[in-house]
Amino acid sequence: MINKTLERSVIVLSWAAASILVMSVAILLGFLFAKGLGTLSLKLLFGSTPPLAAITLRQQVFDGLFPAVAGTFLLVICSTITAIPIGIAGGIFMAEYAGIRQKAFFSLLFDILAGIPSIIIGLAGLSLTIFLHRLFPGRLGPSLMISALSLALLVLPYLIRSTQNALESVDPLIRLTAPALGASRIQNVVKVLLPNSMADIIGGIILAVGRCAEDTAVIMLTGAVAVAGVPHDPLSQYEALPFYIYYISSQYGSPDELASGYGAAILLLALCTCLLIFAFVIQKRLVTLLLYR
Amino acid sequence: MKKTKIRTRNICFQYHKKQILKNISVEFPKGEISAIAGPSGSGKSSFLIVLNRLWEEIDGVNVTGKVEIELNGQMQDIYSGRIDIRQLRRKVSIVFQQPNPLPMSIFKNVAFPLNLAGLKDRERISREVESALKKVHLWDEVKDRLKEDGRLLSGGQQQRLCLARTLVMRPEVLLLDEPTASLDARTAEAIEQLLIQLKSRCTIVMVTHYQDQIQRIADSHFEVVNGNLINR
Ligand SMILES: Nc1ncnc2c1ncn2[C@@H]1O[C@H](COP(=O)(O)OP(=O)(O)O)[C@@H](O)[C@H]1O
Ligand SMILES: [Mg+2]
Repeated sequence: MINKTLERSVIVLSWAAASILVMSVAILLGFLFAKGLGTLSLKLLFGSTPPLAAITLRQQVFDGLFPAVAGTFLLVICSTITAIPIGIAGGIFMAEYAGIRQKAFFSLLFDILAGIPSIIIGLAGLSLTIFLHRLFPGRLGPSLMISALSLALLVLPYLIRSTQNALESVDPLIRLTAPALGASRIQNVVKVLLPNSMADIIGGIILAVGRCAEDTAVIMLTGAVAVAGVPHDPLSQYEALPFYIYYISSQYGSPDELASGYGAAILLLALCTCLLIFAFVIQKRLVTLLLYR
Repeated sequence: MKKTKIRTRNICFQYHKKQILKNISVEFPKGEISAIAGPSGSGKSSFLIVLNRLWEEIDGVNVTGKVEIELNGQMQDIYSGRIDIRQLRRKVSIVFQQPNPLPMSIFKNVAFPLNLAGLKDRERISREVESALKKVHLWDEVKDRLKEDGRLLSGGQQQRLCLARTLVMRPEVLLLDEPTASLDARTAEAIEQLLIQLKSRCTIVMVTHYQDQIQRIADSHFEVVNGNLINR
């Protein structure tokens, strides 16, 4: 009797929790689209510049969001490309090679790193910029590269942890299979363990991509500015969507400007979605390539 | 006088300080099938992974004692520093109790050890895979679906797939953990015939529960009793 009641209430509670979650997402998206959908147009992206000329970089866009979209896109690509190899290698080290003591020590280190607020990472990036500026006067300042490096540092602990957990949770029988067939440790990692954990590792990468795309604190301190155009090299300053959203919502001059902030939010969401889909496709391809070729 | 293939001295096996096997000193003759019986949980599987050092890949296991195996024509201490562990596990190879196909195609599963050994010749790989699958009587069932995921096979087919994957390495010693447990009577008999054929090239140490199987194919018969291995 009691068991039945208990089971029923657990079911009801789970449903309630799930619907609250779904509803919050729906309300959030609904709100965003209600406020921003009206502004979505080529004009929001390119202003008065002809889109083709803007995309081919022949003409600068001064009154549209295209430079911010490009900036965020490049930023995410640069920071994840920096962080992914280091993160995966770190995860492999932690799961497969570290001794018990090393593991405990590095775990503590990564937990601390994961717990550092992004504004502090931003400050560290800023200090690095100032230091580099002293070393190479005039050439190095706040830039896309510094932001990308700082963001890479920010997401590194997630990548290491997700890789480590993915590797450690491979079925013990599968883990033993390749060594029993004469595989070296690294062969086991590359040919069996990594392909088997790819889905979980991609999960960590997706989290990292989202984190890089949305972070504002780090980039304001390390290179994002209100007007910069599309960055032409890694050492230039850049525009970014979250930074645009942040400053437009804190100092808009007209309701139209605020609405363009919502438009920017929708663009950011769309950009993240594209990157996620890209990550999924890569994962499928990689697994097929590694295991079924 | 029979030639000894495997000789153990005072093997002790611990899982997280719990003593599973103690002071096992036995010999297995070359070219014979030695059967190991015993209640479940008594340490039969544990004993097999002592013979190719596979326990070293498992956390919390500790083994002491000495194992000598005749490799390349002479008795060698497998725990000495001169032994290449990858080579050892190809020569002294195990088929687990639970089938463990990797999440890849049937063909790639069987070709996997060759791939690990660095063999590149595709034609030769195909030949070896086909001959191994024929030996375990699986070829006719899978020859048209070699590209399918190995995990989609039935339990008995998976077990034969794993046996084929081991045979393609041409081991000198074959360690089998209940090799016919999930096979129907006819396939089990076919596998028993295969094992008898293999004796000329291979020394077989086999864990089995079936008394009648021991009667039929085993040349010597051991039993795990209280952590010791006793010759019956
Ligand atoms: N991964 C493990 N961790 C701890 N104990 C284990 C593990 N695997 C097996 N054991 C223990 O070791 C003993 C022997 O196991 P095993 O060699 O598999 O026995 P058998 O093959 O004879 O059934 C059992 O008591 C089992 O509980
Ligand atoms: Mg067993």
